[in-house]
Amino acid sequence: MVMYPTHYHRPKSLEEALKLHADNEEASYLSGGHTLIPALKQRLARPSDLIDLAVVPGLRGIKLEKNVLSIGATTTHAEVAASSVVRKAIPALAGMVGTIGDRHVRNRGTIGGSVANNDPAADYPAAVLGLGATVVTDRRRIAADDFFVALYETALEPGEIITCIEFPVPDQAGYAKFRSAASRYAVAAVFVAKFGGSARAAVTGAGSGGVFRLRDLEAALAKDFGPAAAAHCKVEPGNMLEDHVGSSEYRANLVVVMARRALEHLGEASSYK
Amino acid sequence: MLAEQIFKSVGKPVPRNEDQRLITGKGRFSDDFSLPGQIWAAMVRSPHPHARIVSIDKTEALKMPGVLAVYTGADCRNDGLKAIPHNPVPSTKYDVKLRGPGDTEVFAGPNVLLPEDKARHVGEAVAMVVAETLEQAQSGAEQVAIDYEVLPWVANSEEAAKPDAPRLWDEIPSNLLVDSFFGDEAATAKAFAAAAHVVTMKSHVGRVTGVPLEPRAALAHFDPATQRYTIYAGSGGAVRQKQELAAVLGIDPKNVRVLSFDVGGNFGTRNRSFVEFGLVMWASKKLGRPVKFRAERSEAFLTDYQGRDLVTEVSLALDKDGRFLAMRASNLSNVGARCVSLSPLSKGSGLITGSYNIPIATLHARAVFSNTMPTQAYRSSGRPEVTYAIERLVDKAARELGFDRFELRRRNLVHAEQMPYTNAVGSIYDSGEYEKNMARALEIGDAAGFAARRAEAKSRGKLLGLGFANYVESSIGSPKERADLIVRKDLIEIVIGTQPAGQGHETSFAQVTADLLGVPFEQVKITLGDTDIVTAGGGTHSGRSMRHASTVIALGSVDLIAKGKALLAHLENVPLDKVEFEDGVFRVAGSNRALSWFELSPLADQGGLPVELQGGLRVRRDNEMHTPVYPNGACLCEIEVDPETGATDIKRYTSIDDVGRCINPLIVHGQTHGAIAQGVGQALWEECAIDPASGQPLMGSFMDYGMPRFDNLPSFKSEIAEVLSPTNPFGVKAGGEGGTTGALAVITSAIDDALSDYGHPHIDMPITPIKIWNAIQDYKNHHKAT
Amino acid sequence: MQHVTITINGTKVSCDVPDETLLVTLLREHLNLTGTHVGCDTTQCGCCVVHLNGKSVKSCTVLAAQAQDGEVTTVEGLAQKDGTLHPMQEAFHQLHALQCGYCTPGMIMAAVNLVDTYPEPLTEEIVREQMEGNLCRCTGYHNIVKAILAVAAAKQGDADKRPALAGVE
Repeated sequence: MVMYPTHYHRPKSLEEALKLHADNEEASYLSGGHTLIPALKQRLARPSDLIDLAVVPGLRGIKLEKNVLSIGATTTHAEVAASSVVRKAIPALAGMVGTIGDRHVRNRGTIGGSVANNDPAADYPAAVLGLGATVVTDRRRIAADDFFVALYETALEPGEIITCIEFPVPDQAGYAKFRSAASRYAVAAVFVAKFGGSARAAVTGAGSGGVFRLRDLEAALAKDFGPAAAAHCKVEPGNMLEDHVGSSEYRANLVVVMARRALEHLGEASSYK
Repeated sequence: MLAEQIFKSVGKPVPRNEDQRLITGKGRFSDDFSLPGQIWAAMVRSPHPHARIVSIDKTEALKMPGVLAVYTGADCRNDGLKAIPHNPVPSTKYDVKLRGPGDTEVFAGPNVLLPEDKARHVGEAVAMVVAETLEQAQSGAEQVAIDYEVLPWVANSEEAAKPDAPRLWDEIPSNLLVDSFFGDEAATAKAFAAAAHVVTMKSHVGRVTGVPLEPRAALAHFDPATQRYTIYAGSGGAVRQKQELAAVLGIDPKNVRVLSFDVGGNFGTRNRSFVEFGLVMWASKKLGRPVKFRAERSEAFLTDYQGRDLVTEVSLALDKDGRFLAMRASNLSNVGARCVSLSPLSKGSGLITGSYNIPIATLHARAVFSNTMPTQAYRSSGRPEVTYAIERLVDKAARELGFDRFELRRRNLVHAEQMPYTNAVGSIYDSGEYEKNMARALEIGDAAGFAARRAEAKSRGKLLGLGFANYVESSIGSPKERADLIVRKDLIEIVIGTQPAGQGHETSFAQVTADLLGVPFEQVKITLGDTDIVTAGGGTHSGRSMRHASTVIALGSVDLIAKGKALLAHLENVPLDKVEFEDGVFRVAGSNRALSWFELSPLADQGGLPVELQGGLRVRRDNEMHTPVYPNGACLCEIEVDPETGATDIKRYTSIDDVGRCINPLIVHGQTHGAIAQGVGQALWEECAIDPASGQPLMGSFMDYGMPRFDNLPSFKSEIAEVLSPTNPFGVKAGGEGGTTGALAVITSAIDDALSDYGHPHIDMPITPIKIWNAIQDYKNHHKAT
Repeated sequence: MQHVTITINGTKVSCDVPDETLLVTLLREHLNLTGTHVGCDTTQCGCCVVHLNGKSVKSCTVLAAQAQDGEVTTVEGLAQKDGTLHPMQEAFHQLHALQCGYCTPGMIMAAVNLVDTYPEPLTEEIVREQMEGNLCRCTGYHNIVKAILAVAAAKQGDADKRPALAGVE
């Protein structure tokens, strides 16, 4: 459908963006627009104002400093996937981002937009949680473990703007995703990462509450970071999403299979359908 | 049959005339047109599968900015608008004759533009809002307040066929609109009783939708000075739409001009008029401004005419050597909320025995209403369903009775020497070499190498399956066609009433004309789609176009050449038998007087000619052909199944397709590829699923409706066979639908073979990963060591 | 209302449009460039693909205002001024990579950008993976893959080479 009428703004600074949002109760931030604009075209929302963060200076770019990879919030997926810095530091992350949507979507979609939206089947939340990243906003730093609250819900306060995401560089990482035939979103996808003697494993696409960590697998991976540890993966069907694409039992099965495949293909992202 | 030596252009892979405008962004699709002052229509659609319309309150909507009018069914009735005359019962000479229960006339359920009594499916348009902008029309539509009395609903065809099911139409006692028997039941019962083996299968070939990438659109305009309506609206046949829309408005068809230029895919979805087309015409007169409607993709998913949805129960009786003795089939077609076309049930009924010599068969054909979007013909209407049924049944027979599935087929194929072959339900297959097709498919598909490929897949933990299917399909279609052949200053113009949506008529018809008239291909132009120029024609469906067009152009060419000869004889004052025509040149024998078409044509416009030579160098030719043709072939595919996830990967897909004479192999291969893709889509991903609890369609966008895409299809290996049909001068059968016809069966066969170790589970299409995974788990659970 | 100024197919264009106007709407309904098409409402079909600042984007999911001061190329701007077709257009024609033509503009724009910007040599697998953002209902994709690979090969090899008509198999 045609979107409801709205007002579009090009703020010149972060401060101006924040002020615009504070002054307009029904305003929405716009970044890549590839989640928001489709929703507006379905008339699912009616923001009075659209505040374009993609034109705000200082929110875009990739930096590697002291083993922390910082990605600016309005950096596009195409930029992250192609970045030699990301590919060298966390190749599984670059690989994963290269599987988001399609080429054209990746030329517009941004990390900030994806993370702020917390779609239960999006890829970035798995990487953010799986790497234990820090979400940096205009006013504070939020640990990944505290950021993803519920389906489509994050810890962000109204008006709060993500400025960049800081990823600690792991020893090893991997990502495996099983995609839905139609939407191409994850039915179940697992991001695994090794940091010295500890490990993290995050699942997207499958949890009924959104992205979550696989604690059993993490414990096994801490002892032995490899595919064999996936045999120790206990996934309760009861916590899984259930829809026409997959039952909860099926998703529980997929989580284990994807975890194992992520560990079999470390340093990469592998996509199945 | 035409002499082979004239073919210089026919048979060549000529790149298409229509491409130039389409690759440079100069196509003329319906939504590309705009008229000054145009206003926009948006539809208000029922959210309920079945509900009485108690009242419609326009007040708030009329107050919305830009809203000019709100129309309902009462307004349509007050202006005398009639129902769309869909004529759903196929009625050409060779169509299987479907009848209502108790041998009554089929009750189709009228299709008025906007209903007054009830909404009978989710998405049915119940009101229309017209406003200055599209945004205002959509916002206005949101404010139309409708009071519904929700009624019990039924979506599943078997449920709908029960006598106590919620009833859609008060005019008939149940939801059953067709109940017919064909064949010899006594002989069938006898054959089954005496048979050594009987194999039975039941399946539901589900509901899909065509998804042409161009959503339907219409722009209508009424000129009070001429009292004529003009409507830009892509369809499957501009002439038919003109007749139907004129009937709806209650006007003389000469006051309707339909312009259907470039059409972004049809596949059957556009073969019938949509209510919005009539509504925008009517509104354009009432409001005195052009009115435009274009469907959102979500509206297209909801309210494009849908396809298939057949429950089929089939049984095969065999003797001890595996010879097919008799067959029984019971087919139940879900036509939706009203009947728009019975083509799928009818076409399928004629082909239940498939490619095999089954001497005795009985078919019980039924059609039922349900609270779903109406269905109609979709790519190979009816034939993929019955091919699926017979081919799956043959595989099952082979497996259960210990025959090799290829050998069992060879033993029972209709032989080339049996052509023309009359099957057990009266269809006369015109020509074909089925055994040759089968052998060739196995050869080009490298069936011999399969075992090694299966072992290699196994080493990677994957299950590779080999699928095979024979198919035969039918092309009947509207029997009449007209061509105007006109010699212009430096080109030949053919005006014809087919309606392509990608089949390349501007090219293939030009090839035919070029060879018949002896002119260069570049000097032929094909004119389509404007009913002020195209006065008659059958449109495009059922693979009819090449056969009907080449025939009527061939007949017209004879007339045109005769007129040219007579003209030259008259002008040169010689007897007619002294005038020759060869290779595009008219010659007076024994002289050096020779003229091309373009030199002769100006002479045809002079005054003083006898009556029969007046009117210029042009002819109009009509032709009527009822005899069907039977394209046929065989296909082979290999699918790798990942048992851990249920995912499928098509590794190779091979087909051989007998299309009769192939006019343009570039175009025919393209048709085969696209047809295969649509069949594969239904087999693996596509389904118009409905929530069993609420009756709501679950597939409203590409987010839910899985499609064939670049990355889930392989490249194809397709080969064309040309067994000329004796039924028309060029020997054409058809090439547009064969690819789909065998696809449902061959994909299912491959997955079935891949899952050999898991008990050959029967999985209804679409065979999605979760269904495969569930079947594997079920098998494992049943076979746990005790 | 937004006053948008965008260079479209080499020409600077200025328009006053409602803020919520999509780029594809600007092109089709304000500038009468109807070559770019709309095929869906979930940003999936790719019929609307154009180039924005050298990148392929889905113009149905970009506001005209977001393209402010940018450079847009549509299918109407691919061929040269004298009518010489872009190699991709030529390849689509020779290899029958279109039937109804509705997906074709977006398909060609996507294909051109893929061949021009993908950092590694294209294989069938890569083409099929990278083109998944474009749907076609008519061709089964087979000939489109052929056309893209032909153009990529020609680009990599002899620059003068025209994509060959590979004939029919």
